[in-house]
This record gives sequence, structure tokens and C-alpha cells, in this order.
Amino acid sequence: MLLVLSDEHKEHLGFLPEVDSAVVGEFGRIAVEFLRKGTNPKIYEGAARKLSVDAETVQHGVEGLMYLLTESSKLMISEVDFQDSVLVLGFTEDLNQLLLQLYLENRKEIRHILGELTPSLPHYHNLEWRLDVQLASRALRQQVKPTVTMKLHLEESGGDKSAKVLQTDPATLMHLIQELEKALAELKTTHCRRILRNIK
Amino acid sequence: MELSESVQKGLQSLADATFFDMKTFSVLIEVAFRSLLSAHADRSVLDQPEFKRLDQKLLKHCHTAATTCILEGVKQNADKSTISACLEDVSFDAERTEVFYTTYQKYKSDLETLLSSLGRCPPHINDVSWRLEYCIKNGHVHKVNEPSYLISLNVEPILLQNANNGGSSEDVHFSCTMEQLQDLVGKMKDAAKSLEKATQL
Repeated sequence: MLLVLSDEHKEHLGFLPEVDSAVVGEFGRIAVEFLRKGTNPKIYEGAARKLSVDAETVQHGVEGLMYLLTESSKLMISEVDFQDSVLVLGFTEDLNQLLLQLYLENRKEIRHILGELTPSLPHYHNLEWRLDVQLASRALRQQVKPTVTMKLHLEESGGDKSAKVLQTDPATLMHLIQELEKALAELKTTHCRRILRNIK
Repeated sequence: MELSESVQKGLQSLADATFFDMKTFSVLIEVAFRSLLSAHADRSVLDQPEFKRLDQKLLKHCHTAATTCILEGVKQNADKSTISACLEDVSFDAERTEVFYTTYQKYKSDLETLLSSLGRCPPHINDVSWRLEYCIKNGHVHKVNEPSYLISLNVEPILLQNANNGGSSEDVHFSCTMEQLQDLVGKMKDAAKSLEKATQL
């Protein structure tokens, strides 16, 4: 699947062949860093001064690179498709190789970062448990009531952690285990295996 | 068993044959026990035909005294000698004590269940639902191709006997991968194993 680049995008990237490949490499590194941590406009100005061009041109170049990387990672395009897509820009072979390397080295991480944008529920992180026996309460003395207290640690995709304290009785605990084991067994059935194998 | 003055006075009236003959006494004792176990507060609990002749204020006082005494007894797991001693102090004769104790034994375990369910505890898990899904793509990443589980723990906030607590279930929802679910189930099994060991001690 080829990546279709808009004219504006091609224009922004058009700045890249005019500078050294070392500089392009540096821009690539900056683009990935911005994807990780957010943009920092001061860098554009510093680079613009060194190269004697507009800060805006530098910004467009870096942003063009960022967009190229995110779109390619999102679609998970193959090496060949990436090279073909970039060919349309009319860059030198060295530059194309550089861009390809940049893509291949970083795409897993970029996909992970993009994944954090998707709507999702908190996911399981850890479970701590404790066995208690209730001996008495305000309403009734001389009890022997076993309970299992659990602390469920959950994590949001942004990294926020939360913990919930929950309680259950032995019978319900056995029931929970049974139900969840059924859930795990489901993945191993022929039906699921077939789907997992064929949709790739 | 420590009972307040008002309760003791009520019991003394119950012991008095001029207020309650044996039949009326037995009916009131039975009604007292059953009213504690019924799910809804029943306004007509004291509308028995045997009670028509009685002074209503006295009747209510004695009913309250009886139910308080019953709850105290069950709460402390009182045995026959404790109950007999307590009732003797309020002038119950042997026959009335016997009627009370027999009814007490009849309803004791149900009352214990009722009392043990009162009280606050952390949200209590009742059930679990799960869903297995295979994510193909989303708006930000294509070709995800990963299975994942969606688990819902059905939770009740406060454990109360009467279902009229308007308790909204605060279900806990979370997603997990197969490995994470295996970890979760593994830890629950550890808890279950140690439960089993504890019961064998």
C-alpha cells in the first residue's frame, strides 16, 4: 500500500535535499524526539540560524518528517512500499535510504505512542490479596467468617495508576476463578485460533 | 447480658400473668422473633386477635423489650444458662422461660445469618463477566491484530440484608491481555490454595 503525499506535504519535505545528509539525520532525530515528548519551537530557531534559513522552513521540514513517520507507522507499510512512496519526492538514493532507516528503526515505538491515543479502559497491572477471618462485628460477636480482601492495581494508557480495594467470600472466589479460566480456555479453541491465524 | 432499665421493665410486664396469660405470651414471643426476620417492617405485626384486649402502649413496650432481649442474646451467642439467669432476674417463671428458650433455639441460626450480614465492608464482588475480542485496527493505528479481554467485576458497595438500600452497583471494568489474565487467575488461585490450607489447620 502506497503512501499518498499531499502537495503541501511534498513542498515541506522539499527542503530536505537542500541540506547535508547529516543535517537530515539530525532533523530525523529531532522529529522522533518531538513525537516522544512534544514539540519545542526553540529548536527550530536555533537550527534556522545555523542554516541561514527561515525558522518556518525548518519547522515545516521537521513536521513533514514527523507526519511521514506517523502515517507510515500507522499503516505499517512495508519497506518496498515506503521506498516507492518516497520515490515520488525525487530525492537522492542516499536520502531515501536515510529516511527508510529512520522509519524502520522507529516504527515500533511510534506505533506504541500512537496506541496511547486510542480510547481504552484501564488495564490490569497487578493483584494483591489477603485472607481475613471476621471474628466479630458490632452486630454479632463470636463469628468465624472467612473473607478474601484484594487490591486490584489498574493503569490507564497515559500511565495513571489506580488501585481498588475489593472483597469477596471463598465461594465467590472459586466461582471467579472458574469463570476466568473458561475465558482463558476460549483463546485456545479452534474458532479463535483460526481467526487469529487468518487475520494478519 | 446487660439490658437497659426500660427493657427490663418491659420484660417484667411480660412475665406478669395479669397482663399476659400464657397463650397471649406465647403468641407475642413468636411474633417478636418472626418480626425480626421478616424482610419488610410490617406495621400490622401486632394486629393479632389475641392482642385486641391489651393496652396498646403496653403491648408495644413489651414487644420492643422482647426483640431487644432476643437480639442481645443472639449477638452474644447466649446459652441456656445465660438466658435463664437473665429472664429469672425479670421474674419470668419456669414455663415462660421454657417457651422463650425453645423459640430462641428455633430461630437462632436465621437471626445469626441476619446479623452477620450487617455492617460495612469494602465493595463486595458478586460476579464476573468477560469478553474476548480481537482488535483489527483503530483510528490511530492500523493492523493492530491483537486479542484482548474485557473483564467486568460485578460489585455491590455495601452489604445489607434488606435490598432496599438502592445500592447502585459500581462495577469495575478493565481490559487485559492473555498474559495479564493468566497472572490474575494465578494470583487468585494462590489465594484459594491458601484458603484451603487454612481450613485444614
